[in-house]
Amino acid sequence: MRLDWSVVWQNAPALAEGTLLTIVLTVVTMAIAVPAGIVIAMMRFSGLRFLAGAAAAYVEFFRNLPLILVVYWAYYVMPVALDVQFTGFTTGLMALCLNVSAYNSETFRAGIGSIRKGQTEAALALGLSRWQAMREIVLPQAARRVLPVLASTWVSLFKDTSLVSVIAVGELAYTAMRIRSQTFRVLEMLTAMAAIYWALGYPQAKLVDWLHRRLGVTE
Amino acid sequence: MDIDLSPLVDSWQYLVDGLGVTLLLSALTVVCSLALGFAIGLARCYGPAWLRWSVVFYIDSMRSIPVLVVLVWTYFAFPILTGVTLPPFWAALVALTAHIAAYVAEIVRAGIGSVRPGQTRAALALGLSRAQTVREIILPQSVVRMLPAFGSILSIAIKDTAIAAVIAVPEYMKQSETVAGQSFRPFEVFTGAAIVYFLILFPITRLVDMVYVRLAHLGKS
Repeated sequence: MRLDWSVVWQNAPALAEGTLLTIVLTVVTMAIAVPAGIVIAMMRFSGLRFLAGAAAAYVEFFRNLPLILVVYWAYYVMPVALDVQFTGFTTGLMALCLNVSAYNSETFRAGIGSIRKGQTEAALALGLSRWQAMREIVLPQAARRVLPVLASTWVSLFKDTSLVSVIAVGELAYTAMRIRSQTFRVLEMLTAMAAIYWALGYPQAKLVDWLHRRLGVTE
Repeated sequence: MDIDLSPLVDSWQYLVDGLGVTLLLSALTVVCSLALGFAIGLARCYGPAWLRWSVVFYIDSMRSIPVLVVLVWTYFAFPILTGVTLPPFWAALVALTAHIAAYVAEIVRAGIGSVRPGQTRAALALGLSRAQTVREIILPQSVVRMLPAFGSILSIAIKDTAIAAVIAVPEYMKQSETVAGQSFRPFEVFTGAAIVYFLILFPITRLVDMVYVRLAHLGKS
């Protein structure tokens, strides 16, 4: 077995570009999925049966589908069903957003639901309005519980962006596998790909642990 | 737009084979990763220092590398390194087990950590050995608390087997891709796949929630 690691250095610019796209996908997806998650969670708390039901159906549907299937579905079915053509990047982004929004809305729902009802009642009894009670009492405490979970979702999302490689979005996994099939340096390229994901993901995983320790609330 | 279900009807046998592979791979993955993850989790909590550190490194590495990368590496790169070529199914089993076992180990650690240290001290004061304390006092309580999380490992495993399609394991996702490609009917085939996965996964999630509600009070100490 003869290894030739120079192939990694020769293709460093392409790999850097792929890595950048992975990071952009993660950031943009989260930027969309956090507000979307809040909206879906509010729909479930709205008390309107139609809205709550639609939100629950959405969440259950996307939590129970493999993400790779959602990616394929967005790529092959959505253009046919909606009669519009999206770029690969937009399609991948939409699939990731559909998935992560469902998880985020559950995070917000659980975070708000975990604050005991007595606290809202006490706030109302003290003369605060419903909105004030939510903003001043419930949300600040819920935020401490939501943040570590959002951070975990962030790390999962960072890893899940690799799945959009199946529809030829040129992020890190796709780029590395493309170079692999052009140069036939399989072991070198795949190991480099794993190493780059590891180098980026490991500190994130450690940061999540720290957030969980730091913000963990015990009642 | 016209809908034509004939590709699903014509290839039903082919798709059912894929479903069988999905379920078999999921079941084997769950069993293997529970066994391996339990061992890793115990090593994480009670092993000597050098073992604890290497186990932590392993767990955190698996948490930071995508499962797709682990799958592709095991199937394409591992044979070059060792000279042992694994068929896709077994490569997928090895890769998924290696990945999911790390998550199981974290669940085991959290479960063991949730039993208050006072109980260990009380058991030791009563003259039980370390091994007895773990076996008789800590594990019976913590395993109950781990059960709901193990349930979600089941649905994670089923969802992750779909990614094994990229190394051509003939499971449901891969078979659907093939049928969609041959019939030029991706709309019907992938929508069908979404329904099939949902019908498998939704009852499991519901069941896990129910078990959680039933068991939650048992874990209190």
